[in-house]
Amino acid sequence: MKKKNARPDNVTAYTMLIPIVVLLTIFVIIPFVYALIVSFYDWSFYQESRFVGWQNYVNVLNDPLFGKAVVTGLKFALLVVPAQMILAFLFAHVIRSMGKKLSGFVKTAIYIPTIISGIIASIIFVFIFDYNAGLANVILNLFGVENQAWLADVKTALASIALPAIWLGFGITSLIMLAGLLDIPDSYYEAADLEGAGSWSKMIYITIPLLKNVVLFLLITGFTGAIQQFELPLVMTGGGPLNETTTPNLYIFNHFRNDVLVGHSIASALLLFIVLGSISAIIFKVLNSEKAVDG
Amino acid sequence: MKVKEQTVKTIMYVFGFLIAVAALFPLVWMVIAGFKAKNEVLVTPFRFFPEKWLFSNYSSILSDPMFLKSMGVTFMGAVLFAALSLIINSMAAYVFARLEFRFKRTLWVFVICTMFIPGMAILLTSFIVVTEMKMLDTLAVLVFPGVASAGHMFFIRQFYLNIPMALEEAALIDGANRWKIFTSIFFPMSYPVFVIVGIGSYLGFWNSFVWPTMTITNPDLFQIMQFLNTFRSERSTEMGMLMAGSTLAAIPTIILFLIFQKYIIKGIKISGLK
Repeated sequence: MKKKNARPDNVTAYTMLIPIVVLLTIFVIIPFVYALIVSFYDWSFYQESRFVGWQNYVNVLNDPLFGKAVVTGLKFALLVVPAQMILAFLFAHVIRSMGKKLSGFVKTAIYIPTIISGIIASIIFVFIFDYNAGLANVILNLFGVENQAWLADVKTALASIALPAIWLGFGITSLIMLAGLLDIPDSYYEAADLEGAGSWSKMIYITIPLLKNVVLFLLITGFTGAIQQFELPLVMTGGGPLNETTTPNLYIFNHFRNDVLVGHSIASALLLFIVLGSISAIIFKVLNSEKAVDG
Repeated sequence: MKVKEQTVKTIMYVFGFLIAVAALFPLVWMVIAGFKAKNEVLVTPFRFFPEKWLFSNYSSILSDPMFLKSMGVTFMGAVLFAALSLIINSMAAYVFARLEFRFKRTLWVFVICTMFIPGMAILLTSFIVVTEMKMLDTLAVLVFPGVASAGHMFFIRQFYLNIPMALEEAALIDGANRWKIFTSIFFPMSYPVFVIVGIGSYLGFWNSFVWPTMTITNPDLFQIMQFLNTFRSERSTEMGMLMAGSTLAAIPTIILFLIFQKYIIKGIKISGLK
């Protein structure tokens, strides 16, 4: 690669970088370093702080509710991500086979939920899961099943929150999957047709291997997104019943709101950060290793 | 063989149609519930359409000064937020895509690192920082903390890397400075990527809920999602009005999306994965 420019543009570069660097320093780096420090202190809004070493972390790890929150987060991700991926995979195929006009309409239709806020989704789905007259129970009644207290029953609460999460994320997942599908050259399929391959073997030997990167990307972003979800349970259930829908971030958020011992909540947030931060780093690595994007 | 293919096709179309309907159903139900009397939103036996179409929910939420104020303030904030986000992040994107300078690598790592810090890890300490800066209950507390974004910067940079160098070389030879090249060549060419990042920022602001509830207590500055959630808990019997309010709060984002959907859907392709 040739040198872009012989004279270094130090002054212009620094001037143009000032806003982003200053803002990120004040609102991301300082709070982060501050959080690291506080996590080693017995610190609250009302008293002198005291250095306690790893005590906050030990407390968090020994808190059965933290463990439960992590398990809840994992269960939630398992409810949301596979369902979303399978639906998106099927649906991307459907859109691809459609005519241009129809596929345009369908793409728009499935994308719209993506731009709806978690609050509005919660409001709608709380009504849908209403015990007496919600649509979910109306449908159950059609099959002769009795009304369920969807959001109040420990057996169904988490799944009931997973449904709006799938609804919100399914459109974008399908469209990314579709973009991946359209990137596969037609000639591969034509060659397969000449060989007499059926649609099933085309899927196994062409589509799935060539979609690998897209699927990986969607799995990782879907997983980190799902495990960090907390607006839906915050509004729909407040984390209940019996903490059954307390996702990790909701656990942390509830501690922020109700606890005077800030160190504990921050330590739990940082523990979670270690896991999520490494996952995001992997995504970035995968993405950045690809050659520049196509325009 | 032919018949089988036809059946597969029909099944696919039916499936596609059903999914599209399922995707829109909750929203359509919301819009229609906004026309129902308050005791009719949840009624047994279930009825999709109202017995009598009422416009009173929409008209009374529209004459609620708090609702209008909240829509206005959120809209203003979101537009400001999106504009600043484009300016700040695209400048940095340009610098990292094109300029050579000392400490480039260090600054790059510094900026990119912030992408891996989840919001929840710094939520409370950010709150303390903005409290110390006396920013609570101002529009600034909603706009500034999230506006610089390594993710958006990275996305714009990827786009800039694909702009052919030849375009600016002529200008450089003519003696145009870097700043000029950025504003007169890169800025106008950024339209497609700006639409995506701008709408992403706008949506993020419009839909945000947790940060406003922590930092805004003055009802005059209530953000729209904050307003809706407060309405939901304080006037829980006014279900029709709540649905009308939610509908009206969703409409600006839907309109924005419909206007720019061509770019957004295309943007999914350039989001950097193959």
